Amino acid sequence: MTDLWPVVEPLLARVERPARYTDREWGALHRPEAPYRVALLYPDTYELGMANSALAILYARLNTLEGVAAERVFVPWVDMGAAMREARVPLFTLESCMPVAECDLLGITLPYELTYTNILEALDLSGVPLRAAERSDGDVLVIGGGPCVFNPEPVAEFFDAILIGEGEDAVADIVEAHREAKAAGLSRAEVLERLSSVQGVYVPSLYAPATADVPARPLEGSRAPARVVKRVVQTLSAHATPPCPVVPFMDVIHDRASVEILRGCSRGCRFCQAGMVYRPVRERTPDEIVRDALAQLRCTGHEDVSLTSLSTTDHSRIEEVLRRLSAAVRGTGVALSLPSLRVDAFGVEMARLASSGGKKSGLTFAPEAGTQRLRDVINKNVSEEDLLATVRVAFGAGWRRVKLYFMCGLPTETDDDVRGIGALAWKVLDAAREATPPAQRGGIRIGVSVSVFVPKAVTPFQWEGQLPMEEVRRRQAILRDAMPRKGVDLHWHDAEVSFLEGALARGGRDLSRVIERVWREGGTFDAWTERFSFARWMDAFVAEGLDASALATAPRDPDAALPWDHISAGVDRAYLLSEREAAMGGRTTPDCTFDGCTGCGVCQDLGVDIVLAGGSRG
Amino acid sequence: MADTTFRLRVTYGKTGRLRFLSHLEVTHASERSVRRAGLAYAVTQGFNPRMKVAFGPALPVGTAGLAESYDVWLTRYLPPADALGELRRATPDGLAPIEARYVSEREPSLTAALTLAEYEVVVGGPDAGPDRVRTGLEAVLADGKLTLQHKGTPKVFDLAVFLPKEPTVGEYPGGSMVRMTTRMGASGTLRPEAFISEAIRRTSADGAVTSVTRTGLRPEGES
Ligand code: SF4
Repeated sequence: MTDLWPVVEPLLARVERPARYTDREWGALHRPEAPYRVALLYPDTYELGMANSALAILYARLNTLEGVAAERVFVPWVDMGAAMREARVPLFTLESCMPVAECDLLGITLPYELTYTNILEALDLSGVPLRAAERSDGDVLVIGGGPCVFNPEPVAEFFDAILIGEGEDAVADIVEAHREAKAAGLSRAEVLERLSSVQGVYVPSLYAPATADVPARPLEGSRAPARVVKRVVQTLSAHATPPCPVVPFMDVIHDRASVEILRGCSRGCRFCQAGMVYRPVRERTPDEIVRDALAQLRCTGHEDVSLTSLSTTDHSRIEEVLRRLSAAVRGTGVALSLPSLRVDAFGVEMARLASSGGKKSGLTFAPEAGTQRLRDVINKNVSEEDLLATVRVAFGAGWRRVKLYFMCGLPTETDDDVRGIGALAWKVLDAAREATPPAQRGGIRIGVSVSVFVPKAVTPFQWEGQLPMEEVRRRQAILRDAMPRKGVDLHWHDAEVSFLEGALARGGRDLSRVIERVWREGGTFDAWTERFSFARWMDAFVAEGLDASALATAPRDPDAALPWDHISAGVDRAYLLSEREAAMGGRTTPDCTFDGCTGCGVCQDLGVDIVLAGGSRG
Repeated sequence: MADTTFRLRVTYGKTGRLRFLSHLEVTHASERSVRRAGLAYAVTQGFNPRMKVAFGPALPVGTAGLAESYDVWLTRYLPPADALGELRRATPDGLAPIEARYVSEREPSLTAALTLAEYEVVVGGPDAGPDRVRTGLEAVLADGKLTLQHKGTPKVFDLAVFLPKEPTVGEYPGGSMVRMTTRMGASGTLRPEAFISEAIRRTSADGAVTSVTRTGLRPEGES
């Protein structure tokens, strides 16, 4: 095992934020004796990657396996990347400072589309061939996983294998299969064939990619499954929250302890990929949550603890959890935080409970659309009365800041719906003023954040077209005119970035050529505004003969094949289609954790059940 | 909350790889050490309650320190040796606490008290031997003042104020080592690295500062 620290150290005096590369944080795990070595790469900077809780879970999990060491890797910022190339220093893991190329397995998170060029940057800095087809027996095994895997095709050729779904159990199976295959002296092709039999593992090289009419299918002679079905854990109780995750020295986003109190959300918002692909809902029990939160606070020394999930206030025993936790941290200066809240008095009551230790953070609500008609289309079960009543309660209870999330460009959206966002912002502002003593009204802040709808794979809207950029800009102008000038901070997402996300989110294998070209032209860290070049991307699409507009904005024919048809999140296509029909008819669908199964198919397909700590919700 | 608090002064190092931390990173890390150590720390009053803690003068990214300090106020008395033990157990090696002792509330704050900083600066390079470096230093000192750029604007340091005693130069493998004391104050801080780099530049020697270590902090008048 080569130790690169002697050649890395001299570079650190001349780069920004050297703490990104030094390791030695509290909680960093060093297992120099372990023969099987895993590099876990987050394809962005240290400070972004360290905020990713899935990575922390897998890091902890892999390091409990006998004979296995898992170490962290992040993409060096531009200055460090240049310094490393100049000094011929390859990409290294933080803990051992060993070359990534010397590891047995390189696991790469796929967090969002704009990190795709960074995957190539990391492979290249490591000296690992970019494409799976170019790698030979001695090369590290490159495996992807994470939120973007439900359409893995744009990056499929860069990976030897991709894990679809949850990693807690699957990573152990993958490591086991790989170790056995290595011990048996199998060739790379044989290793991959063997990995394809691990449930949830997709080996792209064993499939013929989709054409316009035929979905991707296993190659002749391969035993790879026709459809790769996502991996899930039956219950979160089998996996305690890591008690001692790494505590960064650097200021990272979400720099706090966190406990995933439930996984999945079945509210059924029709634009939401997370809501479809992380089903079914599985809650942790209050005992586990309190135990895990206190253990993590004790071990890390963090000053905040966040109870995370897609819909935290839906936990069937959230009130008990918050009462117990806030009592436990009272007087220590430790704050509890909740992500986006349910839009009702209960949501505010829970936020009040969370802040009873002293700190009041801002409140966040997501009405998503400006009119009831459109909220019914997207199945966002929030009414204007709910929202305004909630705002009155919150401002009456002393809050002075709320943040509202909306989307622009949702299917069937009209100019009236867009103006509706402005009208709603006016009403929220009025309601906030009414509920606030006159002397304090100057402190009222309403944040309105409007993203651009991007249709995602495995949602009822996967067949819809995305708005063309000019249209997005026109509607953003309407939005600006409809918004109150004072008291509201309006933010919207960039039309170009959203357009590109759309083109990448639903593209096929041929997109790998575009991604590679962009990287070769110097594209890295595309998620960073100062690094993003839309022109570079559009030039690459043209040079590779692909039509980005068609990919992003053209509606798909529900009878045609989609590039991700061979990947299954467990949700039936028929369900997605019926939800699409309901959307167009303005009919809503209830949440199965409150009102009984609505037939999405996940539980039957994956042999799992929803798990509610309180037995029932609502 | 108890009215009486106990002001614990913790002395620690910032060494090895962790010398690359910024002052803010060190302060956050130290607060977390206090929490992990399970010390009963006092919390500030107000809207955003925080641990009551105060740090000594900042060390820049890349500069090591052998005896840095912070004060943390405890609500319960704990024998200093026990506090030190708990803190050491809860702190990464590169920031390990060396000493813990109680100080009176009447003592001035660390930043107000500790205005003299002692440094060891290692210079490396083919002709960065003591004689050469000494010549450079003498040239800079002879000017009596040094102008350095700070964020694009020039700042003039009166060396008689900022260097209370003359730096000394000694042998060091691969170059030389400068020992120097600087005075910190309201008008700023002279960074040893900038000062020595200027000295090297004056002699046109092929050398550079390879490491800077703050070996100690002390109040005016003590030695
Ligand atoms: S199968 Fe039924 S119960 Fe299970 S997640 Fe889908 S809708 Fe909910």
